[in-house]
Amino acid sequence: MSDLRCEGVAKSYGGRVVLSGVDLAVPEGTLTAILGASGSGKTTLLRIVIGFLPLDHGRVAVGGTVLADAGRVHIAPDKRLIGYVAQEGALFPHLTVAENVAFGLPRAQRRAGARVLEMLDLVGLDRGYARGRPHELSGGEQRRVALARALAPGPRVVLLDEPFSGLDAALRAETREAVQQALAGEDTTAVLVTHDQAEALSMGREVAVLRGGRLVQTAEPAVLYRDPVDLELARFVGEAVVVPGYSRDGVVDCELGTSLPVRGRLLQGSVQVLIRPEQIRLSQVDGVAAEVVGSSYRGADKMLRLVLRDPAGTRISARTFDDDLPANGETVRVEVAGSVAVFSEEER
Amino acid sequence: MTSRIPRRLLAVCVLVVALVVLPVVVTIVQALQGGVSAATSALEATSARTLLVHTVLVTVAATPICGVIGVAGAWFVERTRLPWRRAFAVLLVAPLTIPAFVTSYAWASVGSVFQGFFGAVAVIGFTYYPIVFLLVAVALRGLDPALEETAQSLGLSSRGVFFRVVLPQLRPALLGGLLLVALDALVELDAFVALKFQTFSSDIYAQYRLGFSASGAAALSFFSIVLCLVLLFGEARLRGNANYTRVSQGARRTVTRYRLGLASVPVLAFLVGVLAVSVCIPVGMLIKWFTESSAAGRSTAASNLTYLWPATYTSVGFGVASALLAVLLALPVAILAVRHRGPAVTALERAVYLSFALPDLVAAVALAYFASHWVRSLYGSAFLLILAEAILFLPFAVVAMRATLGQIEPVLEDSARSLGAGALSTLLRVTAPLARPGLVAAGVLVFAFALGDLSTARVLLPLNLYTLGTQFQTYSSSVAFAAAAPFAAALLGLAAVAAYLLMSRFGEVRGLGKESSS
Repeated sequence: MSDLRCEGVAKSYGGRVVLSGVDLAVPEGTLTAILGASGSGKTTLLRIVIGFLPLDHGRVAVGGTVLADAGRVHIAPDKRLIGYVAQEGALFPHLTVAENVAFGLPRAQRRAGARVLEMLDLVGLDRGYARGRPHELSGGEQRRVALARALAPGPRVVLLDEPFSGLDAALRAETREAVQQALAGEDTTAVLVTHDQAEALSMGREVAVLRGGRLVQTAEPAVLYRDPVDLELARFVGEAVVVPGYSRDGVVDCELGTSLPVRGRLLQGSVQVLIRPEQIRLSQVDGVAAEVVGSSYRGADKMLRLVLRDPAGTRISARTFDDDLPANGETVRVEVAGSVAVFSEEER
Repeated sequence: MTSRIPRRLLAVCVLVVALVVLPVVVTIVQALQGGVSAATSALEATSARTLLVHTVLVTVAATPICGVIGVAGAWFVERTRLPWRRAFAVLLVAPLTIPAFVTSYAWASVGSVFQGFFGAVAVIGFTYYPIVFLLVAVALRGLDPALEETAQSLGLSSRGVFFRVVLPQLRPALLGGLLLVALDALVELDAFVALKFQTFSSDIYAQYRLGFSASGAAALSFFSIVLCLVLLFGEARLRGNANYTRVSQGARRTVTRYRLGLASVPVLAFLVGVLAVSVCIPVGMLIKWFTESSAAGRSTAASNLTYLWPATYTSVGFGVASALLAVLLALPVAILAVRHRGPAVTALERAVYLSFALPDLVAAVALAYFASHWVRSLYGSAFLLILAEAILFLPFAVVAMRATLGQIEPVLEDSARSLGAGALSTLLRVTAPLARPGLVAAGVLVFAFALGDLSTARVLLPLNLYTLGTQFQTYSSSVAFAAAAPFAAALLGLAAVAAYLLMSRFGEVRGLGKESSS
């Protein structure tokens, strides 16, 4: 296992820039999630790292070995020792589960089969599946076999392309856990590509956000969620309440409260204030008055849509865990818990 | 998302295309060697205009027949609850594997109805529609049922669904099939001889037989080269950017089959009618010949049985060898066409169709000429005939492979590469095993055409050898029908096996499983 480094990676198709100046470092034995909307270039980046696509600029290295260097080096995909788990698994339909897992092993080991069983154990699949055919497996089981297949030859890095897409919620959680355990068990350096922010935040040691072909921020999940570099990113990684405010000396005043502590960057003057819905708490006595205009029940938590009693009629959302929700039209009082982040006024 | 075209693949494809184009180049050189005056005099001597009109008319009249029978047959077999549809599927493919010269002799012996222009159109229409049938059937199996269901929910009748939703999606497959039919009609010869119908091909044949005026015959071939190019460009323009049989990926969904109810009766009548003309007449003729031979005494038929085994052995040997060679040559081209895009890919893939630019006879003469001048060791060898047949039927092999390869997800090959398998290893361990039914179908198709090949064998068959086809022709042209019967029987038997293999393998991928036919 080794660390993965991308430096200044750029790629264009027919004049359209798909990736530009992408710098990414994945430390050895950790998982970095690449989060991006469709069309952000995440699949292109993944294909460049595996070696299916040549890059226009920059270089890709694993453990100090240069795999691709624009115009100079291009190691073939089969020589890179980079594991790849494709969307929906992409198991070979003409081979059994065991033959699939053994595919990347040297000929002698393919016969022996010990490594295959070891890998099935690793991904938490019953050994009885070994003789089955891919189409006899459920979606989640197919993903596990695909991971076992990718890990079997002992790759230096594993790339996972939306490995949980198309699975239902329960199976998704279960498969995600199995994958996480398997990757940790082998101390694998891994990159997970996804458009699902919850998946990226929960799985990545670090999350790299790709937008319009550029990496806008690479950080630990908590940092990304609490201190995103801009408001667009703030909205992309989670629900956001943004209200105007006036900031000075580490505190900010806004519609939702005065002297709220500011974390991260400190700005002076007129700013926009980022508050996460779970920071907005319902209060019996204090706080700002707001009218309930809607609510959505989401199981464990509930989201309230509120309109402030100010001239602008600012709309905000509040996440609550209370079981009895106020009815539409009712007036409630809200206050902000914890610190907030501020952004300059020009941002949208 | 297309990656760079691997250089080795490109190089191999260029070599294959060079082989295909070789006879065309040799023919042009031959024509020019005779001098411009010799060429023009050859053109003037023959009624070039009549021949041109004949050739074009047959092509124009026969191609739509293939389209209608092919599409209708495929639809009834794949998308309705028609009784005995599996049996119909095999029978509907059979006319393609029955040698065209057997069919045309059978028709000629039925009476004068099938002679001349009408017979020529019918023989093309009724023996080549299975190409359209096979390609359209694959496309139908790959259609997303959700599209038809959505159209129905938007208020379209089943007729409306067919013409506004299904047919437009079949366009690439249909055009591809019709192109093959039209190109083949241009250079068809063997079938027309018995029907006494004159086209360029038959006139060129006459030129060779009469004076062996190689340059004159070559000059005549200019017309077929030009017509071939016109068709190729025409189809490319019609097709536009539409993809070939690139159909849905992954597990096959069960398609809805329509209940025909009382409509089964006319549909069955239509299919039986098609089969009566294309299959029953040759088979009926064979039975008649056998009964006549027993009436006339067994001696003639029996004395020929000594030739039957060697002839069968030779035919099957040449058929299998050219099929294997054609599969080997077609595979790189099919992979290039399915996995890559770009002008170079289009040019190379299209260039393979240039094997239709010459009548088989002319191509065979060109290859013989080439071998006798430059590769003496090949001249008169069995390999030259094998090579000629592989080249001439290459487009069919490429089309059959594409129908299967287009359904194999590229991500499977990507996965193999990421697991450390090189390009060749991926081909051998993933692509080829998955595409096995398609490779078999391609081979069977070439085998069947090689079995039904007379023109090439006439020129290139080593001196001491004879095939089922040449024996059949020898006896049937001297009206020794009883003597010809055993050879026709062997040809029809092999054709039946080929038809079965073709129907069950064409456009299939191993491991995906057949759709449940309920």
